[in-house]
Amino acid sequence: MDKQNSPQVTKRTTRASASTKPSKNTLPNQKKADHRPQSLLDNLVYGEQQAIISQDELISNFPGRKCQILELLRLFGPINSSLLPIFLYGGPSSGKTSIVLHIFKHLKRPFIYTSCRTCHNPRLLFESVLNQLLLHKKDSSNAYSSAKRCEKPADFVNMLRESLMEVVNSLRVNSRKSGLEESDEQGIGRMVYIIFDNMELVRDWDKDSVIISMLFKLYDILKMPEVGLIFISSNSPDTYHLNTGSVEPIPIHFPEYTEDDLYHIFLKTQRGPKLYSSFLDVVLKDSCKITRCIDELSTYFKLLFEKYCEPLSGIGRVPNQDLKSKLYMHLKPHVTPSLNEVFRVPSSPALELKENKEKVGKKRNMRSLGDGVVPDDIDFHMSVSAKYLLISTFLASRNPATLDAALFDSAGGGDNRKRRRKTSETSIQQKENAEQELLLKGPGTFPLERLLAIFQCITSVTDGVLEEEQQEVDVLGTEGGDNGLMSDVLLQLSTLSNANIIIKGGNCPLDGSSRYRSTVSEEMALKVARSVNFPLPKYLYRK
Amino acid sequence: MDAKQTQAAIEALTHLRNKICNRSSIFSFFSDSPDSNYNKLKFIVSNSVTESCNNSVLLLGSRGCGQVEVLDLVLEDLKVEYPEIISVVRLDGVLHSDDNCALKEIAKQLCSENQLLFSKMASSDDNTQFMMAVLREYGLAHKTVVFVLDEFDLFAQGKQRLLYSLLDAMQSVSSQAVVIGMSCRLDADQLLEKRVRSRFSHRKLLFLPPSKEDILRLLKQILTLPEDSTIPRDYVITFNKKLHNMFEDAQFKEILDTLSDADSSVHHMLNFLFVAVCNMNLESGYLSVENFKTALLSIQRPYKLESLQGCSVLELYILACMKRLEDKEQYSYNFNSVMTEYKHIHDSYRISDYYARNVSLRAFEHLLQRELISFVDNRGQNQSIEFRPVKLLISSHELLQGLKLYRSCPALLQKLMTGELNKMKAHLVDVGMID
Repeated sequence: MDKQNSPQVTKRTTRASASTKPSKNTLPNQKKADHRPQSLLDNLVYGEQQAIISQDELISNFPGRKCQILELLRLFGPINSSLLPIFLYGGPSSGKTSIVLHIFKHLKRPFIYTSCRTCHNPRLLFESVLNQLLLHKKDSSNAYSSAKRCEKPADFVNMLRESLMEVVNSLRVNSRKSGLEESDEQGIGRMVYIIFDNMELVRDWDKDSVIISMLFKLYDILKMPEVGLIFISSNSPDTYHLNTGSVEPIPIHFPEYTEDDLYHIFLKTQRGPKLYSSFLDVVLKDSCKITRCIDELSTYFKLLFEKYCEPLSGIGRVPNQDLKSKLYMHLKPHVTPSLNEVFRVPSSPALELKENKEKVGKKRNMRSLGDGVVPDDIDFHMSVSAKYLLISTFLASRNPATLDAALFDSAGGGDNRKRRRKTSETSIQQKENAEQELLLKGPGTFPLERLLAIFQCITSVTDGVLEEEQQEVDVLGTEGGDNGLMSDVLLQLSTLSNANIIIKGGNCPLDGSSRYRSTVSEEMALKVARSVNFPLPKYLYRK
Repeated sequence: MDAKQTQAAIEALTHLRNKICNRSSIFSFFSDSPDSNYNKLKFIVSNSVTESCNNSVLLLGSRGCGQVEVLDLVLEDLKVEYPEIISVVRLDGVLHSDDNCALKEIAKQLCSENQLLFSKMASSDDNTQFMMAVLREYGLAHKTVVFVLDEFDLFAQGKQRLLYSLLDAMQSVSSQAVVIGMSCRLDADQLLEKRVRSRFSHRKLLFLPPSKEDILRLLKQILTLPEDSTIPRDYVITFNKKLHNMFEDAQFKEILDTLSDADSSVHHMLNFLFVAVCNMNLESGYLSVENFKTALLSIQRPYKLESLQGCSVLELYILACMKRLEDKEQYSYNFNSVMTEYKHIHDSYRISDYYARNVSLRAFEHLLQRELISFVDNRGQNQSIEFRPVKLLISSHELLQGLKLYRSCPALLQKLMTGELNKMKAHLVDVGMID
C-alpha cells in the first residue's frame, strides 16, 4: 500500500513544490515567453534530474494495470496528436489518478491537474485551472488571491479560452524552436491536457448539473483541438443523470484489482516477502470476499500481520510448513475481531463516533485485547445525570408514548409483563408487521416535555440508588437531591445533542416545538444503565 | 525499412486523429446534396442577408447529429461570400441561461466585433439598450447580426426575457437579424411562452442521424489517407488498399451494425473511430478489423455489469437479499430489514460467508458509493444509514447476469437468485433433513 500511495503523493507534492519554486530555477537564457508553459517546463526539468520513467517501469510500478496503461498511452498517442475527451472511472484506490499523473511524467507533456475534492465549489475549481494556466501562485505577496476572479461558467469559458490560446501559442513557438535545435528529441509537443479529478463530487455541489454539462461540453465549446480533456471519476458515466443527455466522452474502466493483483501489490510493499506471502496465503482469499478495496485491506492486514509475527523473533526468518501452521493457529482467533475493528462504520452509531474521538488510544487497546467480548463498563466518562438523560432519551425513542403512563406509574414499573398475550394467528401476524415497522422506522421522535417527564420518573424511581451517588457529588460541593439533577438537565441535553447522541428532528407541525431522536444502540443503552444500576430492561416495551 | 514504416504509421495516425477531432470538417461531407440541411440553412441565412430581412430558425435533432458543425460551415462560407456585413453572436444555454449574463455576453461580443470598448460595469439595462442601438445601426448599414443560441431549450427556462427582447426587436423594420436556435429537444418550440412563440417564425430544420450507407461512406472518406501529403506515397497506397478490403469484410459490417443500432449519431461514430484508430498497431502500421472490434467493446460498455464484477461476495449477498425482499413484495426496506433477511438466509441454508453487522454495514456503504443502490429520498438526512429506506438501482436480470459472470461466485448465491433454492429446500424438508 505504501508503494501504491507514495508515487501519487510524491508526484503531487513535487508538482506543488515545483511551482512554489520561484522561476529563478528555470534556465536564465530562455526567453520570457518560453516560461509560459511552466507546468510543462518544470516537469521537464524534474524529469531530467530524476530518471525519466520508461514505459516498462510504468507498467511494473502498477501491478495489474497493464491493460489500462497501454490503452491510455494509445489514446494519448504520438506527440502533437489531438485527443477527444476521455473519462476514466473505477472504484476508489484503483490507481486512476496516480497512473494518469505518472503517464504524463513519462510522456513529458504539459498538463493541468485539478481535483474537485480540494476545489469544492465552482469558483475554486475555475480559479485553480486559471491559476495554473497563468502560472499564478497564491502566496503572501498577493494575499493568497487568485489571478482572476471567476465565479460564473460563462466567465470561466471566456478566460479559459484566452489563457489557453496564449499557452498553446507559446507551446507552438517553443516546439518549432526545439524542433530546429534538437531534431531527435521530441520536446513537449503542442498539446495541453486538463485533468479534472473526482468528478463525481461535482454532482453534489451543482444541483442543476450546469457545471457538469459545461465541463463535459467544454471540448465542443472551446473548439480547440490542441486541448485534451481528461475526466476522472469513481462512478461510471451512467450515473451522471444530465438533463437532456450530454456528449459522452470515451470511457476507460479501471476495474477492481483481482486477488492475484492484490497479492502482487501487497507483496511489493513488504521487506520480508517470503513471510508476508505465507501470511497473504492465509488471509487474502477470505478478506477478498468482504472487500477488494486496497485502502481497507491494507489497514486490516497491518493489524493482522503484527499478530501473525508475534511468535517470531525476527521478520527475516523463512517459515517452513510446520511454522506456518503454528503461525496460522496463532492468528486464527484474531481474524474476526480485527475485521470488526477495521470495518466499523464511524457514522452509524453516533455514540461510537464520540468514543472514537475521545478515547482512541484506550479503546484500541481494549478492542484488540478483548477477543470480541464486549467489556462490561463503558469506556468514556459521563456524569450521572447525563447517563440518566441518555437512558430516558433511549426509552422515549423506543417506547410508544401511549404506554408511558403504564410503565411509569407510582408502582415503579415492572408490571408490564402482566399484560395478557394472545397467541392467535392474527396477533403473530401483527407482531411480525410491527417488527418490520420497527426495523424500517428506526428510533422514534419525542418532544422535550416527554423526555423531561420520563427523566423525572426514572430518577425518582431509583432514588435509593441515587442517594449513594449523590454523596459523591456532595463531596464535590454541588447540591444534592432531585433538584440538583434537574437543574442542569437542559445543559446536559444540549451537550448530548452536540455529541450527536441526540439529534434534533423536524419540528412538530402543530405546536412548532422541536422534536428529538436518540441514536444510541440498545447495547450501549444497556451498558450505560448497568453502570448506574438502573433496571432498563424492565422499562423497555417489547412487542 | 521498418523504422521508416513505423515513422510513416505514426504520421498517418496523427493525421487521422487530428482529422477525427476536427469535427466540422467532417460534416462538410454531408453538404453536397441539394436538399441537405446545409443548403437549406445557407439559403435561409443568405436570403435574410441579401433581402435585408429578419428571420429565425430552429435546428432540432438528437445530440451529436451535427447542428453546430453544419451551422459553423454555413457561417464560414457566408462570411467569405459577404465579407464585412455579417456579425455572429454566439450564446450557449449551458453558460448563458441567465438573462443578465446572456445580455452581458451579447454586448461583449458586439463590442469586440465593432472594436468598441466593453464596460464590465454596465448594468443589464444598459446592455439591453446597447444591443437595441447596435441592432438599429446594423439595420441602417444593411448589415446582419446572426444570434446563435446553442442549447435553445435552456433559454426557455424562466421568464424568457432574452428570447422575447431578441424576437421582439426583429419585428421592427429597422433591424436586420437572424436568430438560430439549436436544441436536442424536438419540442423546443413548444417550450416558448405565447408572446415569444407568436414572434417566432416557425422554421425548423430537423437533423437526423445518418443512414448506414452514409456512415459507411463517411468512414471511407475519413479514414482514407490523402495521397498528396508528407506521408510516403507507397505506404498511403497500401494503407488505402487494405482499408478498402476491410470495408468489404462481413465482420466489419457486423461491427458497424452493432454500433449504429445503439447510437447512430455522428459524434458517437467519431468516438468509435477515434478509439479504433488509436488501437492501430504501429509495427504493422495498418488498421485491421480487430482494432474496430476492440473499439466497439471499449465504447459500448455494460456499466452495471462491470460494477457488479467489482463487488465482493458480501456485497453480492446484500444485493441478493434486497432482491429477495422485493420478490416478497416488500418494496420499502432499509439496512436493518436487509440484515434480517441475510440472517434468515444464513439460518436456513448455513452459508459460510456470514459476517458481523459492522462489516456488512461497510459493505452496504460501498454499494451506496458504487451507486448500485441508493436512498429512496433525500429526506431524513439526520437518520442514520441503517434506517433510511433504500432501493436497488439494478434490474434483477442484470444482477443475475452479473452473478453468472462473477468469478468464484458461491453456488448458493446463484441459486438464491434463480429460486432453485426453494425447490432444494422443499426437497430437503421432504427427505427430513431439515425442518
